[in-house]
Formats: sequence, C-alpha cells, structure tokens
Amino acid sequence: MRSFVLLIKISWRNVWRNPRGTLLTALALGLGLALLLISLGLLDGGHEQTIANGVRFGPGDVAIQAKGFQDSGSQELLLPAQVVSTINEFLQTDSMKQVLLGASPRLLATGLLSSAANSASVTIIGVIPREERAVSLIPQRMIEGTYLSDDNPAGIVIGADVARKLEVKTGSKVVLMTQAVRQPGTKVKDVTGGEMQSTLLRVKGIFRTGIEAVDADVIHLPLPVAQTLLGVPDNQVTQVALFLRHEGDSLMVAKSLRKRLAGAPVEVLTWRESMPMLAQILGLDHAFNYVMNGVVLAMVGLGILNTILMRVLERRYEFGVCKALGLRPAQLAMMIVGESLALTAISLAFGLALGLSVEHYFATAGLDLRLVFRTGLPRALVVDPILYSRLSPARIVSSVIIVFIMATVISFYPALKAARTKLPDALKVL
Amino acid sequence: MIEPAVQLNEVRKTYRTGPIEVPALRGISLRIAPGEFVATAGPSGSGKTTLLNIIGGLDRADSGEVWVAGQNLQLLASGELARVRLRRIGFVFQTYNLLPVLTALENTEFTLLLQGVPAHTRRAKVEKLFAEIGLAGLENRRPAELSGGQQQRVAVARAMVTEPALILADEPTANLDSATALALLDVMERLNRNTGTTFIFSTHDPQVMERARRLIRLRDGQIASDEAHDRQAAVVTAKGGDV
Repeated sequence: MRSFVLLIKISWRNVWRNPRGTLLTALALGLGLALLLISLGLLDGGHEQTIANGVRFGPGDVAIQAKGFQDSGSQELLLPAQVVSTINEFLQTDSMKQVLLGASPRLLATGLLSSAANSASVTIIGVIPREERAVSLIPQRMIEGTYLSDDNPAGIVIGADVARKLEVKTGSKVVLMTQAVRQPGTKVKDVTGGEMQSTLLRVKGIFRTGIEAVDADVIHLPLPVAQTLLGVPDNQVTQVALFLRHEGDSLMVAKSLRKRLAGAPVEVLTWRESMPMLAQILGLDHAFNYVMNGVVLAMVGLGILNTILMRVLERRYEFGVCKALGLRPAQLAMMIVGESLALTAISLAFGLALGLSVEHYFATAGLDLRLVFRTGLPRALVVDPILYSRLSPARIVSSVIIVFIMATVISFYPALKAARTKLPDALKVL
Repeated sequence: MIEPAVQLNEVRKTYRTGPIEVPALRGISLRIAPGEFVATAGPSGSGKTTLLNIIGGLDRADSGEVWVAGQNLQLLASGELARVRLRRIGFVFQTYNLLPVLTALENTEFTLLLQGVPAHTRRAKVEKLFAEIGLAGLENRRPAELSGGQQQRVAVARAMVTEPALILADEPTANLDSATALALLDVMERLNRNTGTTFIFSTHDPQVMERARRLIRLRDGQIASDEAHDRQAAVVTAKGGDV
C-alpha cells in the first residue's frame, strides 16, 4: 500500500515536471472533450425537440388505432366503441394519471378542400378542440385567426401552405369534400356509406408549423363535424393519441395497453412505430454522431498517448535507476499509467469546466440556427429555430468513464515500454 | 572462515552486436571480504562497469559463479534479483541518480518505502544518516536545488539507508570537482569504517584509487593486478615511522 501511494505521488509530480507543457496538452485535450460534451448536449437536445415536435404535431407518444391502419391508412378502419371506452377507463387509472399529459381522440380521413380559386387534397383530422389544445402544438402555431373552440362547430383551421394555395384567409369560406365511411348495411346520420359528402366551412385560423408535410396537408375541424361528414357514429374514432409527460414512458404505457386490449382488433404503437421514418432518421443521426464523437475521442486519446510516450522515451535512464534500486516492472508500469490518468484528470477538469459552461449557455439561451441558416431554415428541418442543449448527468458520467477507460488502455503501451526497460543498457550515460 | 561479501569464480561475459562479439570479462575470479573499500580501475573497455553490473545483479554473466552476500546471483530469477538489489545492495551511479520529482528525504527513503518500512522508522533512519553525512537541513530540497556534491551525498545516503551488505559506486566522482570529490570520498570512507559496509568503486579518478584500500586493475576483461593499498602504512612509511 505504501509503495502504491508513493507511485501515485511520483506519477502526479511527474506530470508537473513540465508545467507549461502539461497545461498546454491538457488544454488541447480539454478542448476536444468540451467539444464532445457540447455536441452530445446539442444532439440530445435536438433529438428531444425533434421527437417532441414530431409527437405533438403527429400521432402522440402512443397511438391506439384500428388494426391495419398504420399500413393502409384506410379511413374505413375505426376503433370499436368498446375499445374507446376501455381506453378511457385505462386513462383514468392512478398510474396513467401520473404519466399522462393528455389524450386526443381523432378521426382521420382524406378529402378535397376547395375555394373559389383552387382546390387542394388534404388530410382531415377531426378533433375535440379542448383536448387537442392541451396536447398538440398546432394550436400554438396560429399565424392568423384562432384555433378551434368547442362553441364554434363550423370552423376549420388550415395549414399556411393550404391557405396560400387556396388563396384564402381567416373568415373565408371553403368546401370540404370526402367519401363517407362504409358502414355495412347502415345509414349513420343520414349518410350512406361510400357516397361523396361535402360541407361548407369557414376558415377560423391558419397555422404554420414549419413542417411542409403538415402545413401543406393538414386541416383540423371539430370531431362532431367530421363524424357527421364521414357518417361515423359519435362513439367511434380512427385513433386515440396519448401524450405523455416523459417520452421515456411510452414503452411502458404501450405494453400496458396491449395487455389490456389483448384480443381486440387494435394496434398500439409507440411513436417509433407510428413514425418509423423519424425513428430511422434519429437513429442515423445518433450513429453519425457516435462516429464523429469516436473520432474526437481518438484524437484526444492519441494526444495523451503522444505526450506520455514521449515522456517515457525521454526517461529511459531514470527508469533504469528505478529498476536498479529494486522497483519492479509492474510498479514502473503502474507509475506510467498513473501519469496518464493524472494528465487525463487535468484535461477532464478543463474539458468539463469549458464544456459544461458552454452547454449551460446553450441549455438556457439556446443555439439560434437562424444564425447558421441566414436565408431561412430548410423546410424539411423538423426542429424549432432555436436548439436547446440537453446534457443529462448520465451522459456526463458515461463520457468521463469512457475517457478514463480509454486513457488507461492507451497508457498500456508506454507503460509496457517503461516496464521493459533493459538493464544495464538503460544506465549507459550518453 | 568469514563468508565473503562478493565471490566471483571464472566469470565470463561477452556482448554480441550482430556478428560482432566483444568479450567484456574473460574468466574473472576474485574474492572481496566484508568491510573492504575496493576500487576497480582500468582503461575504457577494460570491463570495470561490466564487472560492477554483474556483481550488482544488473546483468548476468555468460558463465561462472557470482556470489553476493551468500547468494548465487546466477541462479536467481529477475524478480528475485530485484529483491536482492532492493535489500542487499546499494547503488551510486555516475550521474542523475535521484528522482527529480522527489525531495532529498523522499529520494533517500525511496528504497525503504519499497520494502514497506513504516514512516517513523524511515524518517529516523534518514535523519540520522543526513546528520552523519552533512545533509541536515536539506531534506525538503529537490535535486534541482542541490549541488552536484550534495546530490551524490543523497545518493550515498539512499544506498546506505537500507543497511546493505554492499555498495557499488560506478564513477561516483566523475562529474564533481576535486574538492567536492574528496569530500564525498571522506563521507564514504567514514561510513565504510563506521558500519563495515563493503564499498566497490569503478573509477578513472586517481583520488579514488588513492583512497581505496585495495585496487584491482583490469585490462581487456582480465585482472591485471590486485593490490592491497594500506594508505595509513604508506603515510607512516613516508614519514619514516613504523606501521
């Protein structure tokens, strides 16, 4: 134990034999580490925002819909009334109340929206305005007029690109046409299944999300209006979208729901399953960033290796004296590993101080992407213009651990070189 | 019969560099008693340093027997050799003896620490030695803050502190001026007389040869002469008195 403490002392002091060199090396390595932390924070923050936007502009963290709807998108596939009722019961449980932000039942269909000037094919989403407001981001992105309200049944909100195409504004009249859902052998609300139906609506508001797929396609109207237009009973919808307080709970909620709805003709999908392209894009982004971070780590590691190896090669005589005095090869190796870890610790201190300071700034003030994309954000970018960093304690700890493991492994080569110092050759005075 | 501190029987060592063979020692046999103050001298390439390296367990002979403090070094594995060096042999090198990041005190107690000696015992031994060899007050200085002579004294203290059977000094005065070299020799001679530790030097320095009580001259890897050198008798004879 005493000799171990001695070796640690020698290792620490050896790092400071050349203070300027050590500080410069540590600064360079620390910059690399800071870059790693900043990029991880922005990556995680960007992904978090992208998922949040995707979820809250789309089908929610968990979507319950009729079996086959994900693949076919057929508006004839509806959730049975019993299922909707079971879902509502489930949402009232204590465990769900803790994790649930809100739920939005929706009726989905495709149709044609026409004005005096033009027509556009649209995705119709029938919503309960009060519940949709609590969970969706569309009500927060109104650029004209207001969002739907429960007391105005004839209103409709449309995307900015739809409005531009139809040359309409708030207050304009539009006609929505669609095909009624086939209900075998039934006539619902005076609508015969399969027939084309249309209704006159007034534009109550126009929204812009920045997502082309939404702004050029989506319209919201009150659920009862949509149900009447499509000939769907009041207790049936296409989908119930659940929005959770934490995205991480989606798997657990989906699993519970699948268990509860076992045997029913439904599919319960997490956002990764209902938006597979988004999941793939994020996965690719993660992979690319891991590669880039690996490159940064490799550069940091090579910097440590270069410094330690040079110091080992310069001290051959000193190691010869140590071995002559009785220091064992393993002890000599331990000394070198200790120096590597000491240098890594100093670099980490710099890196953490710089990285976390910058990360904190980006976490609070954010990184304005408009400074990068001066001519405007690409329309395909599914994030807000201001990117907020989100660096979790787990990420920081894992980064520190990875760097230390890397430094330890990297130091094995110079440590082995020192341990293999040959006597008496090393003691020859040049 | 007293066991010798060092006994070599027909020790041979040849260095090979590719096809070239250089015989460094050609059948050296010698016996050094405990408490002797011995210098090995000779021109460059005579085998002085090789002889010291083999006695100190820093190198192995190609053939022959090497006995140090009752152990045949030729039969020991490298780990055991390291233990012998740590516990039984002290080294003073020509230059850069000390670890630059440790103080004089820490350098001296280095080998005691490796042996696991407790702190209070280490400190007591070091302080006693420092007082004996004139280093008192320099405990907390690092090598860069000491003169050449002081550094070599610290090296001698480190070699002595484990109370070894034998101290090997390879050209310890080579980088010192004559006054400092003399002072260092005084220290080592005093320690030799007071503690009975055997000292073996390799040297070109006439002052060291003069002070040695036995001078072994080497030439081409063989012992050319082995002279007992009684300085006290020489001084009395020079003054015309009896020994």
